[in-house]
Amino acid sequence: MSLFLERMVNGLADGSIYALVALALVVVFRSTGQLNFAQGEIGTTGAFVVSTLTLSGWPVWVSIVVAMVVGLLIAASVERVVIRPIEHRNPGAVIVALIGVFLGVNQLNAMIWGVDARRLPSVFPDGADDFVTVFGTPLRVARLGVIGVLVVLLVLLFLLFTRTKIGLAMRAVANNQESSNLVGIRVGGVLVLGWGLAGAIGVLAAVMLAPSAGLSTTLMLSPFLLGSVAAVLGGLDSPVGAVVGGLIIGVTEAFIVGYVDFLGADMLLPVMLVILLAVLLLRPSGLFGSERVERV
Amino acid sequence: MQLPLRYARGSWQHWAGRVLLFGGVGLFMYRAVTEWSRSGLGLLADALIIAIAVTGLNLITGYTGQLSLGHAGFFAIGAFVAAMLVTGKVWTPFLDDNLWTPGWTLPVVAVVCFAVGMVVGIPALRLKGIYLALVTLVFTEAVRAFFKYDRFEGVTGGATGIKGFNYLPPSWTGLDGRADLVKWFFWLALGILILVSILVSGLVRSRIGRAMIAVRDNETAAAVMGVNLFSIKTVVFGLSGAIAGVAGALFALKLTLVEADVPIFGLFGSVTLLVAMVVGGAAQSWGPLVGAMFYVFVNDFARSVGEDPSNAIVLGWFVDAGTQLNGLGGVVFGILLILFARFVPLGAVGTAKIWRAKAVVVVPKIAMPAVAGAATGAGTGEGAGTDETEAATIASTDPEADEAGTAT
Amino acid sequence: MSGAPLLSVSGLRAGYGPIEVLHGLDFAVSEGEIVVILGANGAGKTTTMRAVSGLIARQGTIDFAGHSIGHAKPDAIVRGGISQVPQGRGTFTDLTVEDNLLAGGYTVGGSLDEDLERWYGVFPRLGERSDQKAGSLSGGEQQMLAIARAMMSRPKLLLCDEPSLGLAPLITKELFQVLGSLRDEHGMSLLIVEQNAGLSLELADRAYVLETGSIVATGTGEELLADDTVREAYLGVVS
Repeated sequence: MSLFLERMVNGLADGSIYALVALALVVVFRSTGQLNFAQGEIGTTGAFVVSTLTLSGWPVWVSIVVAMVVGLLIAASVERVVIRPIEHRNPGAVIVALIGVFLGVNQLNAMIWGVDARRLPSVFPDGADDFVTVFGTPLRVARLGVIGVLVVLLVLLFLLFTRTKIGLAMRAVANNQESSNLVGIRVGGVLVLGWGLAGAIGVLAAVMLAPSAGLSTTLMLSPFLLGSVAAVLGGLDSPVGAVVGGLIIGVTEAFIVGYVDFLGADMLLPVMLVILLAVLLLRPSGLFGSERVERV
Repeated sequence: MQLPLRYARGSWQHWAGRVLLFGGVGLFMYRAVTEWSRSGLGLLADALIIAIAVTGLNLITGYTGQLSLGHAGFFAIGAFVAAMLVTGKVWTPFLDDNLWTPGWTLPVVAVVCFAVGMVVGIPALRLKGIYLALVTLVFTEAVRAFFKYDRFEGVTGGATGIKGFNYLPPSWTGLDGRADLVKWFFWLALGILILVSILVSGLVRSRIGRAMIAVRDNETAAAVMGVNLFSIKTVVFGLSGAIAGVAGALFALKLTLVEADVPIFGLFGSVTLLVAMVVGGAAQSWGPLVGAMFYVFVNDFARSVGEDPSNAIVLGWFVDAGTQLNGLGGVVFGILLILFARFVPLGAVGTAKIWRAKAVVVVPKIAMPAVAGAATGAGTGEGAGTDETEAATIASTDPEADEAGTAT
Repeated sequence: MSGAPLLSVSGLRAGYGPIEVLHGLDFAVSEGEIVVILGANGAGKTTTMRAVSGLIARQGTIDFAGHSIGHAKPDAIVRGGISQVPQGRGTFTDLTVEDNLLAGGYTVGGSLDEDLERWYGVFPRLGERSDQKAGSLSGGEQQMLAIARAMMSRPKLLLCDEPSLGLAPLITKELFQVLGSLRDEHGMSLLIVEQNAGLSLELADRAYVLETGSIVATGTGEELLADDTVREAYLGVVS
């Protein structure tokens, strides 16, 4: 029982990272219909910023906030400078450009901060005795903290989208850009904001992951992949789906490693591929996604 | 004299132009073989191998419009299968020691990758754009995970990979064993690239090719007009995978080692192929070669800028997983992808064609302006009057110009 | 009513890329008027609407309530008092009816409660369905929603792009009654582009006929209804 609980929490904690990535991807997809390939790498940049700042003596929380702002600015610029001009002329080419952003940011990170791994301090107490005991199982505070961050973020996003004017504007733009123009919403501004928000969330995800995974330029490669799978599984336009998808993947990963002997952690991706294909072939819009009717 | 000059298809001027083009390239290749250093020729051979893989990608992404980030996966499968066959890891009843001659691994790899490609093509039926790109990406990484898996170590080499094999030039080539190893791979890669390019060219000009382009431009319309989406997507995916797989086999045989944890077998590999395709020009017959050469040589240059120039050993930089990946090269290519997506969607070759068409254009005989006594249709381009607009219209629907479709 | 028209357009040119669709239009709407622009498919009706709302690039003079809006951005035009009911309703299908209305009031500061009450009063069916997703409403209900949403920004001029499109005749009658009441009871000015000549010309104070990007006729609603060319072209009446 205690091993089960521990694995569950680990799975949920990793799943929370994937859920954060998936959420950011959904925010972008809902407003612009694009898959932000550079999502993970912008997060990595933010994590490096935190590292640099904390090494210079800045307090961790402040560094994180600064890094999230940096992530916001980078993502917002990508929308304004890369996506918008290309989408206007050649929508099919946008994903190519986004792959270019992915490559560029990843390599830029390597150029600026080098390719060696470094340590990032955890926001949560992460020493050897920092755990709470639940049902007789020691659960690490740091891991519970990550899950907590996800929950808090979800609440904040929910409030943003349902109770604020700007949240309403974002939902409107995601649904119908032309009508949004007609009611006086500045669509361009909303798009930039959506991307910026996704960038900030991405940084948060990276910063939550880095302390345990080690910070290097490859930090978010796998989480991006799994987060994308989570987002697609859940339905690219469903925030709920993103979270559910992320948690499912995290828990599956934890349990495969623990319980399914002949597979092991390395086979996670092939397993994910099979699951992904199965779900998509049965429900092309994902588990929670809404059917998009294509007008011919 | 009025530009553009118009020449009839099949006229001597048309053939002269072709001879000039192929002759020029041939001359370049000849000089490379006879005069370049071993490392330089090795890079060129690498470029040819990449060009083969990009030709495969071009088939499904450039011509058929299905964005695939899975071709590094096919490349990897080809590489590993070839290595496994050559080192006797696959039980083969009719061979003693199960040791395959390297040459024969190529057709086997082609068949295996074709089968896998067809299976991968099935999701393409239901998934569009982003979704397909993501599934193929997961496929690539899943393939890599599969070959890295330690339980399969006996067969696939697991984390350490497979080493200790090679492909020496057979005696009929007149090349001398190890000394001419690079030359041998150069010729081999060149030969296969030519073969594959002819195959793809022929396919594109055929009914199947038109169906592919129809699927790319408007799938629903294509289906309504009778294109069998299932066969097109699966078969073309299979073919493109087979081609990329053969490239992978060549890569492995040339490098004499395969290990799973290497950038080119994963996400970065697929991105590499995409960069080469976009820069060279999607849906262009010369695109893959131009793009691959650009990529390999620029990357090597970028790498040598970052470290000692003396170490540009063939494909060595692919092998160093992340530690010697030169950031500058990657940043440049990332920016190039963005710039090309925005400003040069037709790629280098496509854009060059457009410029060339301002000076010289090849039109069907029937569109040649009527010049007194030129009933045979092999007239020169200096027409006048109303026929010009007609020729211009027909020229603009010339399939050769048509190849220059949108990148994705 | 003041002397100068509320909306005054002259020499309006607009198009898509290299294709010019409107070749210099002149028209005007005075306060409290319903003006109809009649046109067949491809005449340029929607292009005209988009031009006035600032959604596309345009040349020419567009004056509204004393201000030149020929180069204004869409959101400024909404704030300035022009609101559009787009072709095909354009409701936010994933949002609830109430959220649609709130979105309509985006440019209005302060509480929208009174506005909501008012328009639920005019369109009681919307009030009944206030928590339903707009996409689940019938065509007629969505049209009402689109109008109510447009009114939430407290406009002076309402643009309607083919409001009768895709609606059953009975619903269309009801719709035009609503549009009429907006003028009579709520003091609105309306500019409607339509293909449906019969009902719209009956409703209109004045009308223009648009053919392939140029205005070819103008007059009061009654005048055009009686005009033979109009009757033949748009009402199918052979004289």
